[in-house]
Amino acid sequence: MSVLMVKQDMPPTGGYGPVDYRRNLPRRGLSGYSMFGVGVGLMVFGYWRLFRWNRERRRLHIEELEARISLLPLLQAEHDRRTLRMLRENLEEEAVIMKDVGEKMFHTDRWVSPITEELFNLRPREETLRKKFGFLRYV
Amino acid sequence: MPGVVDVPTLQELNVVEVNVSSAVLKAAAHHYGSQCDKANKEFMLCRWEEKDPRKCLKEGSKVNECAVNFFRQIKGNCAESFTEYWTCLDYSNLAELRHCRKEQKEFDNCVLEKLGWERPELGDLSKVTKVATSRPLPENPYLSRPRPEPNTPIEAELQPSKHGSRMFFWNW
Repeated sequence: MSVLMVKQDMPPTGGYGPVDYRRNLPRRGLSGYSMFGVGVGLMVFGYWRLFRWNRERRRLHIEELEARISLLPLLQAEHDRRTLRMLRENLEEEAVIMKDVGEKMFHTDRWVSPITEELFNLRPREETLRKKFGFLRYV
Repeated sequence: MPGVVDVPTLQELNVVEVNVSSAVLKAAAHHYGSQCDKANKEFMLCRWEEKDPRKCLKEGSKVNECAVNFFRQIKGNCAESFTEYWTCLDYSNLAELRHCRKEQKEFDNCVLEKLGWERPELGDLSKVTKVATSRPLPENPYLSRPRPEPNTPIEAELQPSKHGSRMFFWNW
């Protein structure tokens, strides 16, 4: 075939430009020591924040404990009255039930705190269970 | 089994009770601690010295009186801000004080203006105090028996025991 002017994909006139083929691995970024330093610095900053927040939490906890401290006399007085009331009711009921028996439980005159079973002796069993196991910190 | 215990009658135990729920108590706790301080400390001193709840009923009723007066004063003067404060506290399970700082500030301001009460600083309520009371110190709160006499000092000359120490099998 003779040389015909067919449209072909040919290089541009004058050839291509120069091609940069050298390796390109630039040294950039922090060095090892300084990366370590940045890590340590971040940790120290984190610890500082943590200690501050722990101190704040301690102050908040003290505040809540003080609320409990100031309420203790009221609660103690109510508790005492409740105990004494229950003992009184028990005594009266037992005086009715057991007329002949009368003996001391302990050999001393001092006040012995009554146990739950003794207080809730003559009431339905669920009240004893509620008193013993009603308040649970876990669920 | 009934014990022969002196329990006071129901008549003596009748005292005006503070009919208030826990969130209300916690909301007012700091002011209550600084206002009703005297009666509270006397009652606790009595209870801890006598170690007997029957002997401290009078102080206990004074504590109740003081508490009832305290709540009456709040209700008379600062009712709305107090209600907001304790409803805010009641909202959370543990009634944490730090969630309700805004309402607390309002309540404190209101109480300071109208009644002149200041909220105690952190750590004031846990300080150890001395209480002046007219009740004498009980001599023997545990009702213990008299202690036995000490042994008389040994008069005779002490000799090492014959046949060794007499402890187990040692003979020296």
